Amino acid sequence: MRDALRDPANQVSPRARSLWFAEAVIVTVLLVVGLVLLSMWMTGWEFLPQWLLDRTWVAALAIGLVLVPFVLAEPVVRFAVHRWELAADVVYARSGWLSRKWVFVPVSRIQTVDKAQGWLERFFGLATVEIRTASYAGSSTIKGLDYEVAARLAEELSRRAQELRDDAT
Amino acid sequence: MSIPFQEPVPEAARLSPRLLLIDPIRVLPSLLVPLAGVLVAGGFSPRSFIWAALGVAGSVLYAVVRWATFSYTITAGRLELSRAFIGRSTRVIPLERIRGVDVTTPFLHRLLGLAVLKLDTGAGGDKQEGELDGITVEEAERLRAVLLSRHHAVIAPERQARPAAPHDHVFLKVPRAWLRYGPLSGAYLFTPFALVAGAVGLAFQWGGELGLDEDDAVAVGEWLWGHPLLLIGAAVVLVVLMPFLGAAMYAFFNWNFVLFGRGDHLVAERGLINRRVVSLERRRIRGYEIAESPLERRARVARLWAVVTGLGDSQTRGQLLPVAPRAAVGDIAAEAVGPFSEALRPHPPAARRRRLFRAIAPWVALALVMYALGYALIGVAATVLAVAGIALGLDRYRSLGHTYDGTRLSVRSGSLRRAQAVVERRAVVGWTIEQTWFQRRAGLVTVIAGVGAGSGGYKAIDAGETQAAAFAAEVTPDWMAPFLKR
Repeated sequence: MRDALRDPANQVSPRARSLWFAEAVIVTVLLVVGLVLLSMWMTGWEFLPQWLLDRTWVAALAIGLVLVPFVLAEPVVRFAVHRWELAADVVYARSGWLSRKWVFVPVSRIQTVDKAQGWLERFFGLATVEIRTASYAGSSTIKGLDYEVAARLAEELSRRAQELRDDAT
Repeated sequence: MSIPFQEPVPEAARLSPRLLLIDPIRVLPSLLVPLAGVLVAGGFSPRSFIWAALGVAGSVLYAVVRWATFSYTITAGRLELSRAFIGRSTRVIPLERIRGVDVTTPFLHRLLGLAVLKLDTGAGGDKQEGELDGITVEEAERLRAVLLSRHHAVIAPERQARPAAPHDHVFLKVPRAWLRYGPLSGAYLFTPFALVAGAVGLAFQWGGELGLDEDDAVAVGEWLWGHPLLLIGAAVVLVVLMPFLGAAMYAFFNWNFVLFGRGDHLVAERGLINRRVVSLERRRIRGYEIAESPLERRARVARLWAVVTGLGDSQTRGQLLPVAPRAAVGDIAAEAVGPFSEALRPHPPAARRRRLFRAIAPWVALALVMYALGYALIGVAATVLAVAGIALGLDRYRSLGHTYDGTRLSVRSGSLRRAQAVVERRAVVGWTIEQTWFQRRAGLVTVIAGVGAGSGGYKAIDAGETQAAAFAAEVTPDWMAPFLKR
């Protein structure tokens, strides 16, 4: 897409990296702990062959080791990919990690603007802006914004959405 | 243009405190089950009462917290719903975008003089668009007036300006002869098997009352298993019956299909015994979708749906025609939406490789695994499917395409169900371009036109990167121009 579309102007907050890292760590830890519990439970399974029963912990270790590079890479890659812009009354946002997503939402078609902050986001002083139109494919979620930036963007979007007349749909 | 508008007091309002009585009552049933367990297991010991009391106290506390953390404000032409506890969220809905307000009073609410107010903004998806659960009835009526006052001022003149369409003009009475196309769609072909399954289900249901039990069922099963020729015969009969029973079922549902205009509505009527009538408001129609199976393509017939804003379950309710010849489909589509004859632009050769890989690779992998494990028969079957995948993949690539004729855009994809959508430009509410990791390697993307009607989004699968951006820019140049690279 490098030849076709230019990058959206604004980066998300640098603290978003911490958020993504924390989220990835939480998911990984839960997964590994779950697998460890499973392997402890599996020791009672008589019908499994002995060589497998002796090595039930391998799955937990393997998953943990495989996920480590992903946990380290995800925040960095996401910080480079996630960008947003409001220009000419169109919201242009890019997101993704292994895959990519570009969304274009004209302010004239916006139905609702949500500004949300979960407990982890609150800890890092971040917020999410969610813009919805009459279609899932015209709706955008911008994560990892600084709280002040998110508040300003949500305010600006809902003000402009009121001013612009929606002429269709 | 300024609209006379009664500006309400711009201060945050809460839901009625009477709501606090409702929530605990509502959670009680979910408490009863564990409560009963506690009481039964613990007897009448003080501890069980403590647990029960804790449960009730918890639900009351939950209700109080929910009530205390939620507020709504109408200010400067917008409605704000906010919730703040550990996380915070605010939803802003411009009053102009509110299309409808629905006030309901469930039983408990009615006892306390409360109401639930639901907002319809036409925003897509299954998520709740906006709800005030537990305001007084008077407040609900006041809010309805306030929320809709703008809406009517803006919308009403537009409605009157539209000329009325001719009354009861019949566009098409489907001839009986077209019923023979029905089984080609494939959907009705499995009728015999569905009937047998239904009969077996009934036999099990009534068997008990006739004095038959599981042992009898097992005995019947064993007897059948002992006579394989009978089983094979039955299977052959069922397969032979497929087209006939399928045709009968299709005819039953689509008997005397009539499409006519009544006022500003398109009305489709069909059915042998139950006449099913669906009427679609013409000014809400934004496009159409044509679907064909390979058999239907060979017979030059197709199915047609209207893409309508604000119509749920559009796949059944939006149907404009049963299986009908292409010429008739084209005529009705032109009548309902407008003529469209623009040729589709093909997608890059990389898309062909991707379609082929996706159609063949899973079967090759399965075949290899099965050969390795020694299940030669399944391996052969998978190999046959892999070979068939070549034709399927090539056909899927041929189906891919997109175009724009100045007022309507069109996208097409699929082989076993090739579907082409034609949608008016004014229905587009945004664009999404998606690229998986594999698509990135191939330099392809899937571009989705967001539409506030029908399925919500129409995809041009595996378009070239530049091609996709150019397509979006061609349909909506104002929106895309600032972001294109020159």
